[in-house]
Amino acid sequence: MSQPKPTPPLLLGAVALGAAGVLGTYFAAGPERFWANWVLWFVLMFTLGLGSLFIVALEHLVSAKWSVPVRRIPERLATLLLPAIPVGLIALGAVPVLYPGARPEAAHHPILAGKAFWLSLPFFTVRTVAAFVLCVIALAILVGGSLKQDVSRDPAFNFRARKFAPAFMAIFALVITLVAFDWISGLTPEWYSDIFGVYIFAGAFLSGLAATAISLLYLQGEGRLEGVRQDHLYNLGAFLFAFTVFWSYIGFAQYMLMWYANMPDEVIYYKVRLTGAWRAITFALAALHFILPFFALVTRDAKRDPKRLRRVALLMLGAHVLDIYWLIFPALGGSPRFAWPELSFALFFLGGILLWIRGAMQKGEDMPVGDPFLREGLEFRL
Amino acid sequence: MSKKSYAVLGLFETPDALMHAIPKLRAAKLGTVEAYTPYPIHGIDEALGLRRSPLGGMVLVMGVLGALTAFGFQYWISAIDYPIITGGKSAASWEAFIPIMFEVTVLFATFTAGLGMLLLLNRLPFFGHPVLSSKAMKGITRDRYALALEAESEAFDSAAAAQALEAAGAADIEVLPAPDRSPFLTSDYILRTLGGIFVACLVAGLGIYSLIKWFPLLAPMKYMQDQPRLNAQKASTFFKDGHGMQPPVPGTVARGYLPTATGTQEAAATLVNPLPRNKDVFAQGRKVYTSRCEVCHGALANGAGSLTAAYGAKPANLQAQQFRDYPDGKIYWAVVNGKNAMPGHAAYLTEPQRWAVVHYVRALQRAQNATDEDLKVVAP
Repeated sequence: MSQPKPTPPLLLGAVALGAAGVLGTYFAAGPERFWANWVLWFVLMFTLGLGSLFIVALEHLVSAKWSVPVRRIPERLATLLLPAIPVGLIALGAVPVLYPGARPEAAHHPILAGKAFWLSLPFFTVRTVAAFVLCVIALAILVGGSLKQDVSRDPAFNFRARKFAPAFMAIFALVITLVAFDWISGLTPEWYSDIFGVYIFAGAFLSGLAATAISLLYLQGEGRLEGVRQDHLYNLGAFLFAFTVFWSYIGFAQYMLMWYANMPDEVIYYKVRLTGAWRAITFALAALHFILPFFALVTRDAKRDPKRLRRVALLMLGAHVLDIYWLIFPALGGSPRFAWPELSFALFFLGGILLWIRGAMQKGEDMPVGDPFLREGLEFRL
Repeated sequence: MSKKSYAVLGLFETPDALMHAIPKLRAAKLGTVEAYTPYPIHGIDEALGLRRSPLGGMVLVMGVLGALTAFGFQYWISAIDYPIITGGKSAASWEAFIPIMFEVTVLFATFTAGLGMLLLLNRLPFFGHPVLSSKAMKGITRDRYALALEAESEAFDSAAAAQALEAAGAADIEVLPAPDRSPFLTSDYILRTLGGIFVACLVAGLGIYSLIKWFPLLAPMKYMQDQPRLNAQKASTFFKDGHGMQPPVPGTVARGYLPTATGTQEAAATLVNPLPRNKDVFAQGRKVYTSRCEVCHGALANGAGSLTAAYGAKPANLQAQQFRDYPDGKIYWAVVNGKNAMPGHAAYLTEPQRWAVVHYVRALQRAQNATDEDLKVVAP
């Protein structure tokens, strides 16, 4: 284990500067802008943590051996769910401001009035807290148990985790759907899409994979994670490649059905995003989230080349941010906004997330040394 | 050895022994080193120095080609050859093309991968590869790992190859004689295959031809013919009057056909012809006149049509002053309702056709009574 390194002052400075900007946003740019940014970063933190936890659970579910040596990385990334909880509780302040279903006018709206109970702030809070509780339980079982196994070397954990994994999949489906329906599509409560939860799942899983790949390459750059080979990288790259296609498949399927049916209450969602400056962002999203990574990762060598993989993973994380921005910010009305408030939020939250991950990466073992399948995982060859 | 040999083959007990032997044999440069194992072995591609398969590139090219083909074909059908607006979408809507493009991309890519691998790269079908008839074959498909030194040229020395294999740790060394002919697909085989397909087609075609010829009444599928429906010209017990064909319900109006103008001819005098006087309208009026009116009223509208003599009827001479003074509406009324012996034409003339023929009658009247004014060329 390496010596804990001091926190770089630049990162702390960025967070402090960002915090000042975040506070300034509330007073200078108005609460709506503040809450839109806050919800954006809450969703990003939460989906990154949840996507990483999904990777961990997926390994247990299918008893994958190849990913055992790299499992500690998504486990550490999944702990991002913990700081996401206070961020999410604060984000509940956005509900009466941004979410039409929780505003008093909703009582007079023919559609929203019927859903008032579901969309109201009290039940919104209950659902959010329930999601957090479920996440913490899953985190304790999957990640906490794995950390304990480092010391105890007890293979019983593998059986426990494998038994819990199917239940986690149900929990995951519920939680990610709640995030999608409540926090994102709740901004436009007259608009329905059954597949929206799957769309958010694809983005969350991709962001978890991309963060795992970047962290893996970063740790290897520091000389850690010895024994993790190109073959492991290749699998991560193949997952990234497959799920960029999956994301576009779901995204396009949702778009095409609404475009075909052309029903006003559905199609308005895309009308807004295909008008004015949003149109350019929509096409940029398609290019950055699908076309560019698809062709960057299509060859076998590309998935094994650390440099290429790091670039594509960074691109995917950026595209995920753009994706969630594209989903949330049209709710503010008007053209896309990007100025000092958005920059300050990015500084504050990105800095905070990096600080948290840095801290997590320096604690404990880099690999699940107590896992009986670690050796088999290290011997994995394509 | 008098007979030419295809390869010399030796067996190893473990994959490790095989992997260690490969570099030694490659260094000896006696022939192409080829491995035969019951399952894939990690790193053997690199050890044997196999070059990357071109299949990936082929699949990419064909996949892209598939996407372009599907796009081009759909664009041509729906935007150029037969544009139909459906669902209020523009004829060239790329969104609607995407699912088909996806499918065709997959189709082209999988066929290229499968057939390219089998036919192009593995050169299947082949008949009796020498290794298949070797003694070692049983072991290779079970628990032995074979290396073969395959002859690259006439100068292949099978004795030296056997020695090199033995030195590398192989057992059960075996010299495989070269087959009498190439096991791979040659033009000879291709010709035979094509000939077989041709004969099969000929037999099937002639068979079907003679079947149809000898049993011409053997209808292959008669469900549509035999369905319990009413035929227009057949008796039927379904209706009281026993006829299959029934007249339309009174007051039925076909789409696009206005009901007969009611009221008197005098009342219709105030109707105004809604059509402009242009080439298309006159052309339509002329078509209606020649097919419906000319037989009685004559080509010049003077009442001397070809049917007049046969029936002894006296159709109106439309060139008479009385009819020249008629307002458009009264002619229209006569076209729709008929007059005296003339039947009404409402049933088979649409509204624009009725008014077009009125214009044409007016033109015929004017043509027979032209003034000097009419002969002046109007600016085109």
